[in-house]
Amino acid sequence: MFVRDYMTKHPVMVEPTTSTVEAQGIMAETKIRHLPVVETGKRLVGLVTRERLRIPPAKLSSLNVWEITRFLSNLTAKDVMVKGKDVITIGPDATLEDAAQTMAKHKIGCLPVVEEGIIIGILTEVDLLVQLADLLGVGVPGVRVTIRVPDRLGEFAKITSAIASRNWGIYASGAIPTPKQPQSWDIVIKVRHAPKEELIEVLQGIEGQQVIDVRET
Amino acid sequence: MTEDILQHSPILKLEDVAISYETRYGDVEAVRQVSFEVHRATTFGVVGESGCGKSTVAFGIVDFLGANGKIVDGSIKFQGRELVGRSEADLRKLRGDQIAMVYQDPMQALNPSVTIGDQLSEVLTTHRGIATGEAWKKSIDMLNRVYMPDSANVMKRYPHQISGGQQQRVVIAMALLNNPALLIMDEPTTALDVTVEAVVLDLIEDLKRDFDTAIVYITHDLGVVARVCDYVGVMYAGEMVETGSVEAIYDNPQHPYTQGLMRCVPRLGTTKESSRLYPIRGRVPAPKDRPKGACIFAPRCDYATDKCHSEHPQLRDIQNGHRARCFYSEVIDPDAWEPPEGLVADVPPALGAEEDLIQVSDLQTYYEQASRSVLSLVGLGEKQYVKAVDQVSFSIPKGKTLGVVGESGCGKSTLAKTIVGLEAPSGGEAHFLGFDVTLPLSNRDLKLIQELQMVFQNPDSTMNPSYTVGHQIARPLERFRTVTKDSVYDEVIRLLNAVRLDGSYYHRLPRQLSGGEKQRVGIARAFASRPELVLCDEPVSALDVSVQAAVLNLLMEIQREYGTTMMFIAHDLSVVRFFSDYVAVMYLGHVVEIGPAENIYAPPYMPYTEALLSAVPIPDPTAEQKHIRLEGTVPSALNPPSGCVFHTRCPRRAEMLPDGGRICEVERPPWQHNTDEHRIYCHIPLEELRKLDPVVTAV
Repeated sequence: MFVRDYMTKHPVMVEPTTSTVEAQGIMAETKIRHLPVVETGKRLVGLVTRERLRIPPAKLSSLNVWEITRFLSNLTAKDVMVKGKDVITIGPDATLEDAAQTMAKHKIGCLPVVEEGIIIGILTEVDLLVQLADLLGVGVPGVRVTIRVPDRLGEFAKITSAIASRNWGIYASGAIPTPKQPQSWDIVIKVRHAPKEELIEVLQGIEGQQVIDVRET
Repeated sequence: MTEDILQHSPILKLEDVAISYETRYGDVEAVRQVSFEVHRATTFGVVGESGCGKSTVAFGIVDFLGANGKIVDGSIKFQGRELVGRSEADLRKLRGDQIAMVYQDPMQALNPSVTIGDQLSEVLTTHRGIATGEAWKKSIDMLNRVYMPDSANVMKRYPHQISGGQQQRVVIAMALLNNPALLIMDEPTTALDVTVEAVVLDLIEDLKRDFDTAIVYITHDLGVVARVCDYVGVMYAGEMVETGSVEAIYDNPQHPYTQGLMRCVPRLGTTKESSRLYPIRGRVPAPKDRPKGACIFAPRCDYATDKCHSEHPQLRDIQNGHRARCFYSEVIDPDAWEPPEGLVADVPPALGAEEDLIQVSDLQTYYEQASRSVLSLVGLGEKQYVKAVDQVSFSIPKGKTLGVVGESGCGKSTLAKTIVGLEAPSGGEAHFLGFDVTLPLSNRDLKLIQELQMVFQNPDSTMNPSYTVGHQIARPLERFRTVTKDSVYDEVIRLLNAVRLDGSYYHRLPRQLSGGEKQRVGIARAFASRPELVLCDEPVSALDVSVQAAVLNLLMEIQREYGTTMMFIAHDLSVVRFFSDYVAVMYLGHVVEIGPAENIYAPPYMPYTEALLSAVPIPDPTAEQKHIRLEGTVPSALNPPSGCVFHTRCPRRAEMLPDGGRICEVERPPWQHNTDEHRIYCHIPLEELRKLDPVVTAV
């Protein structure tokens, strides 16, 4: 789960001299929201986002209608981008959770992936959401079970051995501390090729654990 | 599933692109209404015959059209940005950073006077501003990435010091150094041997996966397309006539032109007894002669109606993104297609085997090479020989065809030239109709010369450009007095008709003919003296598939009619299988396997034959093919390996022989007879070789 494997390679990019009108057009055409700004050799110098292209009304109201046209046509990526050091980036060998944390902390929607100053990809919040969905096996038919277990060693092993003993397989899994209940954890697993009733029976047989949700997907 | 959610916009999107060249006669529209999209990590193949505008499209994307070319209509969007109308400086920057190109001939792309290391690292220092030492290191990494053996040393070499396949790998490495989003490849493997081609194609597949690069792959070879492409666009006379996924196009071609192309290529395994090749009648019109306001393919189409001649069809969706430019795609059933009258002539059945027409035993052709030692200056040095043909024995029964296959440099052409008398053999015997053909050409009887003729690969270089076609065909007739003087003209016309050219060609000059027509004249000339044996050296290699089908059919008809014996040299194993009764596989001057065609293409195989067969691109994306790739390059014929010549690259000896195949290095292998006619030059016992699976299994 490294950034390198989940980023979008060859991101759409613009130069500092690209006009904002064109940048706007590129974003619309390719349906993206972030445009890294690069100089020769794909060196990252800035980032243009959709918010950055919104010109504050105060700025415009001070101009008359003729000045607005000229103001807009002279505006380039360089004028509106987040500049140089202010762009928050990530390296290709960082983990996805690092990336998620960075994005959450700064409340940003994308991280240019940079190696030695050269942009090699881009990771957006959508990429992370897709990976979250994949992590729990979305779209794969199977039985999704949520089990509440006490916070102590060996509980997860009980589940895996119970399922393995019936020759079923766990396709995806995730564990998270139960919200507002510090003493227990919620474990989500997706089991394939297992009849729902039999699976519930097996899992309910585990002492100290509680099956709190079952759904077929 | 991730892919479904993350719908990326295409890397490259062409919409209704039209490209024209300015000429003396006004603007000529070379390409029109071309639209396609290329997505990341997919390969879009552009196929079509020569002159269909494939390369023009590729050059148009980066505006490399030259001074007289221009994009007159449509839009080309790269990563959402319009490329049409961009300044030269902008485009140059894009080409350096994000778009890379690989062309057919690697020597054209490499500077012969600069070492490979300098050329590679220059890309990084110029475009990226990386320090020289760092750039050198990154270049070595990239060479390793394209599986270059001994990459650190290769960096210090000049382009001419590495083989053709390695040169092409250097060009690909150079293209990838800047990690481009789009790679345009124009016939990148056409100039390479089939075994080298296979390795390069594997490499392209790997790189596409690892670098997420979008690739536009231009080729005329339907087999290569089936192997590397995900989507295909078929071009005809400057228009895209069909696009779709590779499976859809091969399984269920919707445009009559695509269907015609599929009928032109022999599938590996088909023979002239079991099937026929059907050429597409007529020829690709020149840009200025293309029908206007009508379907461009209508003049050659078997299904054309009045509507086709008066209305121009648009590319339209037939099913699930499979699009064709035809009014009747839903109606046409290609399986119900019947060849129109006269497209292919009925071929008389083959004659039963008679006695051997030519017998060759232990034939050798050595070229003397001056030794580099000082002694050789005074004539005392040890002489060295390039063993171009060594210990070759075979015989061809009358009226049959022997196909000769092998990589370039294996001695195929030298063998033909030795038999026809253009090279003097150094030893061995060759008898033809009771004549000894090892004697020098000047001592040969006129009768012998008459009975032994040759068709060459390149008709351009074998025809005198200032003599008319009629004159050139009449020449052997007069020389050999095949017919009386008065009837020479009639005989030339008869020969022209026999190769499906009408009498008006008599007064034409070679430059007024197309490639296929020139080759027909070459064939007519070879058959003018009514020879017993015709040696064909790659007669169809330079031709487009539809013309190739016509020429192969022609050769076959003439052979059946006159009972001519043929030796057919080619590197395309499907064509050889189709055309030949017997096949000889050559490696480094030796015949390593010989026998009836059906035996060669089924186990037991000589390991080299097996490797060759697994490298051939098959025009069928669903066929399963074994994956055997040969290491290294063909050793020098100046100093061939001891024992079995193939032992240095043999992938089988270590696993199938005791002691890791030591015996192959020291001892010459025996000729093992599988059947009376089929023999294999190998140490591995036939019982073991028989256990190998067939190379190709059709699904």
